[in-house]
Parts: sequence; structure tokens; C-alpha cells
Amino acid sequence: MFKDWSISAITAGFVAVLVSYSGPLMIFFQAAQSADVSNAMITSWVWAISLGAAVSGILLSLWLKVPVVTAWSAPGTALLVTLFPDLSLGEAVGAYLVAAAAIFVIGVTGSFDRIIRLVPPGIASAMMAGILFQFGVGVFVSLESVPALSIGMILAYLVFKRLSPRYSLVVLLVVGVILAVMLEGASLKGVTLSLADPQFIAPEWSWHAILSLAIPLVLVSMTGQFLPGMAIMRSAGYNTPAKPVVTVTSLISFATAFFGGITTVIAAITAAICTSKEAHEDPDKRYVAGVANGIFYLIGGTFAGTIVTLFTSLPGEFVAVLAGLALIGAITSNIHAFASQKDHLEASVITFIATASGMSFLGLGSAFWGVIVGALAYNLLHRRFTGRKSTQVSDSAR
Amino acid sequence: MKHLERGVGLASAPRDFLRDLNADNLSAGVVAGIFGLSAGIIHISAGTAAGLPKDFTLLWVISYLFINGLFGLLLPAYYRLPLPMANSIPGALLFAAIIPVVGLNEALGATLMAGAISVVVALAGWMSLVMRLIPMPIVMGMVAGVLLKFGTNMVMPLQSALLPAMVMILAFFFSARFLRRVPPLVVTLAVGVIYMAFSGADFSSVEFSFRMPEFIAPAFSMDAFLAYGLPLALILVGMETPAGVGLVKGMGFKEVPANAITFVGGIGTMVSAFFNLHSTCIAAPMTGICSSPEAGTHDKRWVAAVIVGIIFVIAAPFYGFVFSLIEAMPNYFIAIIAGLALLRVISSAMHITFSGKHEVGAMFSFLIAVSGLKIFGIGASFWALILGALISMLVEFQDFDFSLEREALRKRFSAKKVG
Repeated sequence: MFKDWSISAITAGFVAVLVSYSGPLMIFFQAAQSADVSNAMITSWVWAISLGAAVSGILLSLWLKVPVVTAWSAPGTALLVTLFPDLSLGEAVGAYLVAAAAIFVIGVTGSFDRIIRLVPPGIASAMMAGILFQFGVGVFVSLESVPALSIGMILAYLVFKRLSPRYSLVVLLVVGVILAVMLEGASLKGVTLSLADPQFIAPEWSWHAILSLAIPLVLVSMTGQFLPGMAIMRSAGYNTPAKPVVTVTSLISFATAFFGGITTVIAAITAAICTSKEAHEDPDKRYVAGVANGIFYLIGGTFAGTIVTLFTSLPGEFVAVLAGLALIGAITSNIHAFASQKDHLEASVITFIATASGMSFLGLGSAFWGVIVGALAYNLLHRRFTGRKSTQVSDSAR
Repeated sequence: MKHLERGVGLASAPRDFLRDLNADNLSAGVVAGIFGLSAGIIHISAGTAAGLPKDFTLLWVISYLFINGLFGLLLPAYYRLPLPMANSIPGALLFAAIIPVVGLNEALGATLMAGAISVVVALAGWMSLVMRLIPMPIVMGMVAGVLLKFGTNMVMPLQSALLPAMVMILAFFFSARFLRRVPPLVVTLAVGVIYMAFSGADFSSVEFSFRMPEFIAPAFSMDAFLAYGLPLALILVGMETPAGVGLVKGMGFKEVPANAITFVGGIGTMVSAFFNLHSTCIAAPMTGICSSPEAGTHDKRWVAAVIVGIIFVIAAPFYGFVFSLIEAMPNYFIAIIAGLALLRVISSAMHITFSGKHEVGAMFSFLIAVSGLKIFGIGASFWALILGALISMLVEFQDFDFSLEREALRKRFSAKKVG
């Protein structure tokens, strides 16, 4: 470990954590806002997800000698935003535990690849896009209430996206904080260093939570995190098997769930930072970036209270704009993934519409119904029955 | 007049109409017509929200159907293309909002000027320039965003009316898959009506009335022009025409007369100004239905648009009756039919938006259109285009087609020098 140490790897690990805290964490904050919980509770959540990412990342990176960057399930937190406050905290924790158990089974049995193949790719990305979509729209809803701050942040995002795509989120965070203080009169006086105080939440069991949170959570974590995360590792030249990664993260998720930590997964948004050439010239020494990433998560988790007071003293629109801009790339690539293909396009669009509509029926959220309606449409419209070609739709769609 | 595209002509249109009429384009035309009739609800709610008298609102809708329908008969028949005419919905909301501020006659005067601007742009042949500045993925991103609301409306009734919604949606899927000959929308419509009859929809509030459009003199004021006429002109030229043309092109029609559509829309808007109506332009959602694969083979889809015009003109005087009939049907009925009718349009709009150049601009255009953002009283669809194009220029300038334009300008310039 010490002989492989390098500044570039540690910087990569630091940037990955910073990007995670400036972008995806905002969604978690929005979930906390819709659940209307206390700052102490949010601090415990942030502590739990940071610790989960830290422990699993350090363990896996050291064990496999590859840069495994882990994080919390970002699309999973997006699910929470629509489910709270109807869902109680205990029910959420119960659902986290069920999801962790399901992912553990998937990991141990090695059926990850088989399950991925079962869900039509268009349906999976359409559901992802549908879940994330409202955050993108939120940017422009905020534009009406706080025009100066939003326009400033959008411009900063566009300019830095062009100049340095890798650091654009971090720069956006800094610019946004400055703008919020200058334009909206946000005060950062309350921000001090404070240690996190984890809070135990007793799990509750309900079918409602399992169907509308646990099942979609497993699905989006598989398709939205593990699938792209493993693909990023593979494309960087690491032939890491999925089994240990899925198994270890699910075990960690099990522990952090009791403190409000949502499922720990392999990172998708930030993984590329640590697996790329910028981390280290020698691929065998990039695992240090994974370890560094974990250590910075550990620090972030320890001072979770500080992070929470920083973001809660900024206006809500700031969080909405930051989360939306951080996710625009993910929304675009997911919509692109299903909309650029003519294959089962209509079933995907139905999935997208149903998920994005935010409807709820029988107490179940739109992500669940999106998959149900989409799968129904897929089987009725597009699926080829034995030997017969899918006829009218695919023909006339041309 | 040199920029106006030439069409097939009107002389043989009635004969060709009968020759090309078939089940596909008839059903698409009827569905689009019903959709257009139901759009009157938007006018009525906008008028009511702005505190306008009921009598005025009814006249407004009657003019909408009669005048738009008349132009919608002629344009598709002349070009043999699915180009149904209606009015601008964002324009309608602006119109209703501005009348209490500047007065009805002044608002109509501003409408007249907006129509004149459209005519000038069309005669000068600037449509292709406008459309190059605002590229297709960005226009389609806006269209997809506006249409997405109809899509989510289709899903929302599942919450309150699960059974009828499920029955209609399943009927659509099943017939799309298994009944190759019958258009799925007709099946869905029939199944829906049968369901309504059995569930005992209340038709007692339906009443009969007959009225024609009435003449109202426009008046001119600068206030009305700046607050409403100029935005309306921008909406008509920059958004309605590109959206309609984009849809038709997206459905595989190669030659679409963008200048002529703007010209006819401009003339129609000027006529509208004398009859208590705010605009005439190509109708985006109905164009989607009439030009889609639902309307049969490409060369016969124009019939669907003519049928829309016929339905509009015939229904116009009786709209008081039609409106009370629409009111008798539950809200979700129209929403589901429209949503299913637009499903393929949304699909292909999203396909065009997200499978080529201008990805960032298209995404922003899509998001802005969905967000319903309003700046300076101008609605989201306008900003989606303008901001989408600006952002695209900032982030992905290489995707713009200006190299060709520069080439053409240089040629024209050197030709002038020689001359």
C-alpha cells in the first residue's frame, strides 16, 4: 500500500468524494426534506451512507487490488423523494434491509448477469430516466422563484462543462455557494466542525414498502449502479468479478440500514475518476485511489454534521438546481439509451411516461407501475412469440 | 412570391379526396378532429380564468373551429400533405390574459400585426434560416416536452378510474398487436364508448344551439403589440410552424412547404383578427396524429387533415352542443384517447430529439418545455426553443449547420459582385 502511494491517486479519490457530495448527495437532501426529518436524523443518514461507502470501498480495493469506488444508490435516493412522507422511517429501513438481502442473494448465487438480461434494456433505462427526470425539470421550476441564482448556476455549469468536464460539479458547488450567499443572503455562520451522532432506527415491515421501495431499489441499483459501475471497471481494463463486489456491498448495506443509510452499491457517476489514467499511469497502482476515496468518505462521514449544516443553511432552490444539474448527464444518457433505438421504443416511452408522471396507486409509487405497465406493453406490443415475427408495431413505426 | 412552395393544386382535390379516402386516414382524421374539438376546453378554461364573458368565449371557440377549419381544408388539399390547421394554444393563453389589460379590440389589432409579420417572414423566405438557427433536435425536444404532458395525463386517470383506463389502454395494446387491419385507436374509441354507455354516462346536460362567427373591429395600440402581438408573432414563426414542419418531416415527408405554411398561417391570423380569434397556424398535436403511421400510407395521409377541416367547419356553429356533449363524457375519456393517439408521436419525437446532434440543447429544450417555465409572461415552449438553441451554441457549436449556410452566402455574394 505505502509503496504504491501517489498524489494523483489520492487527488482522484478526493475528487470522487467531492463530486459525490456536491451532486448525488443533494438528492438525499431532497428526500430528507420531503420526509421532514430533523438535522440530527439527516446527519445520521449521511454518516451511514458515507461509512458504508468508506468501509466497502477500502475493503474491496485492498482485497482485489483494483480501484473499487463504492457509493450509495443515487437512483434509490431519488425514489425516496416521491415516497416520503407517506412512508415512515421504520418502513424505509425495513425496505433497505429487504433490498440488501435480495442483493446479497443475487451476489452469492452469481445470478447478477442473468437478472440484468431479463429486464429489456430500454425498460430499465426508461425507468431510470423517469425517476431522475423530475430533478432535471426542478432546475427550471426553481428558475422562476430564484432567477438570478438559478441562471448563474446554469451558466456556470455550461461554461465549466465545456472547459473542464471533470471538475464542473465541484466548481458548480463553489460558484453556487458564493452566489447563494451574495444573491440570496444565505448565512454560513452556523457551519462549524461537529462530529456525527448516529441514530438507530427500528425497522418496520410492510408490503407497501417492499413493493414500492425495496423492489424498485433492487432494480435501479442493479441497472443504474452495478451494471454501469461494472462496465466502467471492465472498460478501464479490470476484469473484476461481480460476485465479491455485490456481496460485500450488500453486507455493508445491511449494517448501515439501521442508521438510515440507503443501499451501498458500486459507484457509477464517480467510478470513472478513479479508474482512469488521471488516477495513475500504472493500472495496478490505481487501487490506491479506491482506498483514498474510502478514507475521504470516512472523514466526510465523521463530520457529517458539518456537511448537513452547510447544505441546510443554503436555500432549498440551491439544492434543487445543484441536484438537477448534477443529474442532467445521467438523464440524457438514459433517455438516449432507450430513445435512440427503434427496438421496443413504445414500451420504453410508456415506462418513461408512467414513471415520470409521479402517480401513485394502491399506495405504490410510479417507478413500480412504470415497470409493470412497461413490461405489459413490452410483452403485448413487441415480444416475439415462438417463431412469429413481431408484426404491425415494428413495421408501422418506421 | 418566389419563396412560396408550389403544390399539386385544388382543381382535382375533391376527386382525389374520394380516391385516397380509406379506413386508416378516415379514423386518424376523426381522432384528430375529436382531439381538436376537445382543445376548445382549453380556450374555455383560459377565458373563464381570465374573467371573460361566457358569450365571448363561445364565439371565440366557434371562430376557432370555423376559420381554422376553413384554412385547414385548403392547405392540405393544395399540397396533398397532412397539414391540419388550428390555433396556437400558448397564443390562446396569452390572448385571454391580455384582453382584460389592453381591451379586446386592441388585442385583435395586435393579432392582425402578428399575422402581418408572419406573412412578411414567409414572403422573404426566412423560414429556412429560422429553422437552421433552431435545429430539429431542439424543436423536437420542445414538442416532446409539450406532448409529454398529454402522456402523463393518460397515466394519471389510473389513480382515480383504474377500470375504464385499463380497459381502454389494454384494448389499444391488443388491437395494435393482433388486429392488423383495424386501426387500434378506432378499437379503443369503440371500447371506450361502449364502456361509458354501460356505466351510465349522464347526457341530460347536453343542449342544442347554433351560432356563426361574428365580426369585431380591431384597434391598434403599442402596448398591446409589445405585450402580446410580438410574442405571438415569435410563437407563430419561431415555434408553431417549426413544430408542425418538424413533426411532418419526422414522419418521413421530405418536402414540406415551411414558407407557405407560415404564409397561409399569417393570412389566416389576419382574417382571424376580424372574428374574435387570436391565430391560425399549423396544429402540432393534430399534425402528429394525421401524419403518423396510424393514418395509413404516406401519400394518402393528407386526407386525414382535410377530414379534420371538414369536422371543424361542420361542428363550428354547433359547438355549444358539442361542448355540452364533451362535458358529459368524463374528463379522463378524452385524456386517454389523446394520450394513446399521441403515444407514437411522443415516441418518434423523443427518438429524433435524442439520437443525433445537439444533445445538450435538446435536453434543455425538453426539460424547459416540461417545466412550464414562464418569463415575461411568455410560456415555456418559446423559451425551450430560444434557450435550447443558445445553450447548444455555447456547448456544442460544432453541431450547427452553419458551414453550409456560409457556403451559400459566399456564393450569393460573389454572384452579386459579378452582376
